[in-house]
Amino acid sequence: MIEKRRGKLEIIADILTSIQDKEGKIKPTHLLYKSNLSHAKLKEYLDVLIKKGMIEERLLKGKKMFFMKEQGYKFLSEFERIKEFSDSFGL
Amino acid sequence: MIFDSVPYGLPSYIFSPEWFYGFDSIIELIAVIVCVLLVYYSYKCFKLTKENKYLYFSTAFLSLTFAFIAKITGTLAIYKPEITRSALGSSIHQTFRSLTPSGINALAFIAYTFFILFGFMILFLIISKLTWKNQRVIALLVYFVFLATWISVIHYQLLYVTSFVLLLLITYSHYGNYREIKSEKAKFVTIAFGILLVSQAFFVFVIYSRIIYVLAELIQLLGFVYLLIPFMLIFKRKPKKRVK
Repeated sequence: MIEKRRGKLEIIADILTSIQDKEGKIKPTHLLYKSNLSHAKLKEYLDVLIKKGMIEERLLKGKKMFFMKEQGYKFLSEFERIKEFSDSFGL
Repeated sequence: MIFDSVPYGLPSYIFSPEWFYGFDSIIELIAVIVCVLLVYYSYKCFKLTKENKYLYFSTAFLSLTFAFIAKITGTLAIYKPEITRSALGSSIHQTFRSLTPSGINALAFIAYTFFILFGFMILFLIISKLTWKNQRVIALLVYFVFLATWISVIHYQLLYVTSFVLLLLITYSHYGNYREIKSEKAKFVTIAFGILLVSQAFFVFVIYSRIIYVLAELIQLLGFVYLLIPFMLIFKRKPKKRVK
């Protein structure tokens, strides 16, 4: 089956969902694997998410990690609501 | 004067029994509220996602909102002609002297017909996944909406037969959507359009019995309540547990 290409918002939601599923923090390598994006593209999206205050980059036990922020949870919640609305009304 | 007399020898496009006067306007008002909520949220979705499908959905329900406002205006002109004696009513009456309550009712009926068919047509286009690439199909459908509006002035049943056909296609498509995603909310949407479909079938026969009009209005009310349920359920949904 041919998968539909993801839009920008879907990619952002997928990245945030990956972080949320890992209890709000994720290693960059895991994120790269889960987001199904190239390294360059992922970096581009992460920069946007950091700039928008949805995630932050911190060191945990000396290792680089990405943490979800309140803004990220808010976005994900609104995105899921829109998706549910879209699916329910056949949009 | 818009018409010397309304076709079928009717004094106006009023099919309600006298004891139901005003209750139908309340039902229409509830429909307006449901439509406005859907217009507002789908437009918000459009602003956030920039996806045109939300804008079309918003436009469809905006058209239905205009339709129900037109119907309320048209019926109130007959139910409450004393409105023309109010401050606002009399100034409008002074400006449009030729507009009698029957004239307002007839004009409102034309507006109602156009907007309701236009709204349902957009909903049909959305659920059929037609895009602007299908310009010729869309142009043809818009032409049919104008044609149906024109003929409905003489044969009012055509309005309800056309909206019945459009709703039949919309309901069938929503049923397909429900079977695909198996969501409770999609089931409510399908039921809602199914109920609205039944109401249109009743509206076709309102000329034969005034009680049919009452039934049609009540069924329509039920349809809009059902349309509101999935919308409320989406907003009631609790967000996933956050881990800090």
